[in-house]
Amino acid sequence: MNEREKGGVPDDALIRTTLAGDDGAFGELVERYKGRAFAVAVGIVGDGDVALDVVQDSFIKAYYKLKEFRFGSNFYTWFYRLLVNQAIDRWRKSARSMEVPFDESWLSEDASPPDSFAYPRSPEDLARDRELGDALQRAVDALPEYHRAVIVLREVDGMAYDEIARVLGCSVGTVMSRLHYARGKLKESLKSHRDR
Amino acid sequence: MDCGTALRKIIAKADGLLPREEEAELAGHLSGCPACTAEDAAISATGPALRALTGIRAMEKAPALDAMWTRVRAGIEEGRETRRRSSWIARWAWVPAAVAIAVAALLFYPAGTSRSPFHPSSFDVAVEDVESDVATVALVDKGEDLPRVIWIIEDAKT
Repeated sequence: MNEREKGGVPDDALIRTTLAGDDGAFGELVERYKGRAFAVAVGIVGDGDVALDVVQDSFIKAYYKLKEFRFGSNFYTWFYRLLVNQAIDRWRKSARSMEVPFDESWLSEDASPPDSFAYPRSPEDLARDRELGDALQRAVDALPEYHRAVIVLREVDGMAYDEIARVLGCSVGTVMSRLHYARGKLKESLKSHRDR
Repeated sequence: MDCGTALRKIIAKADGLLPREEEAELAGHLSGCPACTAEDAAISATGPALRALTGIRAMEKAPALDAMWTRVRAGIEEGRETRRRSSWIARWAWVPAAVAIAVAALLFYPAGTSRSPFHPSSFDVAVEDVESDVATVALVDKGEDLPRVIWIIEDAKT
């Protein structure tokens, strides 16, 4: 049982109920995983609207493929495989520019550069430093897609290496080397911003 | 500990793979090495910075995310409708094909030959039971006396 299932109906039971014809049970799965799914999708595609489409399409695809789900395995690992593939597919098809501007509303009126440099640890921290946000987004966008997926699944979703390996269909060693590379690139971006 | 070893341990720490007993040793090196301390700060910041970045996007799209099940449900309904339509087309697609074959047979029926004793004077193409999941398509020679079935697909499963 994963964290999301605690205190609620297990994923497997919701899947069985959905397969028996109750769409409401699938709605519960959507409510349970939409936040995590969005965070992963937006980490890969970069754009919020595209990420919403990716999450929506992935849930619809999951609904129609639910008969193929193997009971006993994790629903979210199975679902994330659909999600990540969908996100990577959308990323490849999109002609999105490397630079994704921040929503101006996120910059408060009294926003100003911090007196002493500290790496951002929250959305609010990052919103106050627009240049760093843009630099970080560019660094993420510049990563090869599967490296981006690995670091997002690890750092944003907190997945274990073996789970990431199952989602991406690769070895744990590959996950670790991709993570190492991606982390190095993001670190360079953060450091070069700080050293300016 | 040299800086190269420290860097490997910094990365292992960020990946959550540094054994607890080695953390103190690394901390000892960092306390006397500003370069490695800066490296540690930047590497350790990648996770929180990435979470902050996706967090901003999530907060921007919170209302749309709240309505995700509505969007998904609409997509499922749309998919169902499309599947229903395409399955109906697949179910009945053979009927016009069968009628076309029947008409072709009608055109090439050997009129004025040695088979003329049975030559029909008029034809009917009949399709029956189209409302159920079986159908019968037949080419019927109405003839002078009794009707004669020339060609039939009977109770074909659709």
